[in-house]
Amino acid sequence: MRKYKDVVELHDDRGSLIASNIPVQALSPLYNPAIQSIICFVKQCVAVNIEGVQGALASGSVGGKYCNIKGRSVKADLVGNADAIAKDMKGELQVKAGDDTDVKVLKGGKYLLVKVPMRRLEAGVEYTTSATTVAASLCHVLIDKFKISMWDADLVHAAVWGRYPQTMEMLGGNVVSLLSVPQQNEGMGYALRNILAAHAAMITKKNSMNAAALSSILEQAAMWEMGDAIGNFERLHLLGLAYQGLNADNLVYSIVKENSKTGTLGDVVKSTVKRAIDDKVITPLNKSGEFTTYTTSDMNKWNAYAAAGLMAGTMVTCGAARAMQHTPSVFIYFNDLLERETGLPGVDFGKVAGTGVEMSFFSHSIYGGGNPAVFNGNHIVTRHSKGFCIPCVAAAVALDAGTTIYTPEKLSGVVGDVLSEVPELREPLKYVNEAAAKLKGDF
Amino acid sequence: MPAKKEEGKYTAQYYPGSTLPAKNRRKYLDPSYKLQKLRTISDDDLVRIMGHRVPGEAYKSTHPPLEETGEPKDPIREIVTPTPGAKAGDRIRYIQFTDSVYFAPVTPYVRAWMYHTRYRGVDVGVLSGRVPLEVRERDLEKVAKELVETEIYDPARVGIRGATVHGHALRLDENGLMFDAFRRYLFNKKTGEVEYVKDQVGVPLDKPIPVGKPIPEEQLRKTTSEYRVDGDAFRADKEVINFIQRIHMLRTIAGFDPEGIKGI
Repeated sequence: MRKYKDVVELHDDRGSLIASNIPVQALSPLYNPAIQSIICFVKQCVAVNIEGVQGALASGSVGGKYCNIKGRSVKADLVGNADAIAKDMKGELQVKAGDDTDVKVLKGGKYLLVKVPMRRLEAGVEYTTSATTVAASLCHVLIDKFKISMWDADLVHAAVWGRYPQTMEMLGGNVVSLLSVPQQNEGMGYALRNILAAHAAMITKKNSMNAAALSSILEQAAMWEMGDAIGNFERLHLLGLAYQGLNADNLVYSIVKENSKTGTLGDVVKSTVKRAIDDKVITPLNKSGEFTTYTTSDMNKWNAYAAAGLMAGTMVTCGAARAMQHTPSVFIYFNDLLERETGLPGVDFGKVAGTGVEMSFFSHSIYGGGNPAVFNGNHIVTRHSKGFCIPCVAAAVALDAGTTIYTPEKLSGVVGDVLSEVPELREPLKYVNEAAAKLKGDF
Repeated sequence: MPAKKEEGKYTAQYYPGSTLPAKNRRKYLDPSYKLQKLRTISDDDLVRIMGHRVPGEAYKSTHPPLEETGEPKDPIREIVTPTPGAKAGDRIRYIQFTDSVYFAPVTPYVRAWMYHTRYRGVDVGVLSGRVPLEVRERDLEKVAKELVETEIYDPARVGIRGATVHGHALRLDENGLMFDAFRRYLFNKKTGEVEYVKDQVGVPLDKPIPVGKPIPEEQLRKTTSEYRVDGDAFRADKEVINFIQRIHMLRTIAGFDPEGIKGI
């Protein structure tokens, strides 16, 4: 059903044209099959750290930091038997022959990428099915395969599930889902926002355009789930996803390119305003003294242009410094300068600037907090902007050359390594664009 | 001189307002305006005041040079040129300023806007009494030079303070200097210059570093970007007030219904 007249040009991560005149609705999580399968992968895919389980069993170090049970040890070659473990797990998890169950052995048996069949998720109401069934299945398979006695089964449970159920989540466990347990979501519909910026950067192998795209898909899809993207706000999020996250009309890439050699954040603001004037998104309203105030008849489109400019500003600033810590500064001052340049509100109507103020304190100041890689859209200081901040953070994390103590590699760990094996998650821009192009005639 | 506006063609406007502080704000934010150099401070002395390394010492690094490590395959890294400091893998270091409320050349917010319009790859934040600027070390030294040698720095009413920054809103002392609990700088009555005797975090320096004479009050009143009721009052600048109220109104209306804004 065609609700909006907007059409966009689709471009890849290097600015090459993929398709023209694509209804923007083809990029909606409600229609785009690639976005839907990305969301399904997020729900269905679980990373298992086989090497981690083996180490925990051998040393008795289970359930997180400082938890070492002296005298408890099970010596078993899990890594060497990863193929057999995978085969048995697949047998347990599969519901129907030929269904979408998949267990891949990675890095010579160190990790498993497990895709739980959708049928199992459909038989319940929580996305936690994937993590719980994989953890439970792994315990069963290990006990059977390595003939582990009833007296050591508790150690297997702790090595796999971590400290759960003493903790809400699988603290110190070796089964990891991108999604946190529901109790850790700040509110209704926050599940897809509770994913670290570091994960988006590492899953996309630090391709900043794809990191931005993946993060934007997750953040903006969450808006539909949270009840934000509906009625007169649906188009705001749809255009935001298209322009800021998916490089619609090549806005992000072209603005970055224009300022790639010597540009400052201020130059990116100017490029954004110029493009908005050229594309007639904003027009002069009046002139008082030397200052021209601009207006728009399409605030949602202006917001999308501003959001794309914000992404470009992040890429130019954090790209030039090859450092992620600049993101909150970009959030505040890109918007400040944009507002003073046009007389129109900044991205998300002030919410990105506000988020920047809090995030800069939590990522720089006396409080400490953490570097941008640990932030997500569910974080207490970054959840206020509805989907427009975290994609920029993910891009900045991807551009960092190694300036932080807690690196994205350390923070994302197994998740990045394992889930980057899923092509749709690793290169979302390509798959979402291709899927949108195929939908062209459907609206 | 700032770039001239061409009728009908978009030229950056930076800031609204008809008063002197507004004009000065536009001037400082416009990178085509060359900040006037008022004093010379040697590279080594500046390094001593910042205190991150000893003059002549090699730059410490936080990661190996990009050429050695190589970079992940990323179209943005391929087109965005890293700054010299980023290329070399320098640590990110800082310089932090406190601007007195008594007609200092720039206000904290103007400082942040100005940094982002003039310098590339910088990280700045504004707090109530201090503005830290964090940049890769060799890039920082270049930027800091311009910040202390030009008209936007006044030795008496702008402080280089890494810690214990308090004083921006306190009365000036008998020599016109902004209060500093660490007494990092003193007024030399013989030379009429302000001298730093401690670095930005308060560690004593081997010898005083002169940073020039205080700018006279009349001159500061002409070049300040601060609104003050005993100077140019903020409320007297109708254009700025209209702008602030407009942004507040549009943010609020758009938050209620973005489709409801048409041509206002």
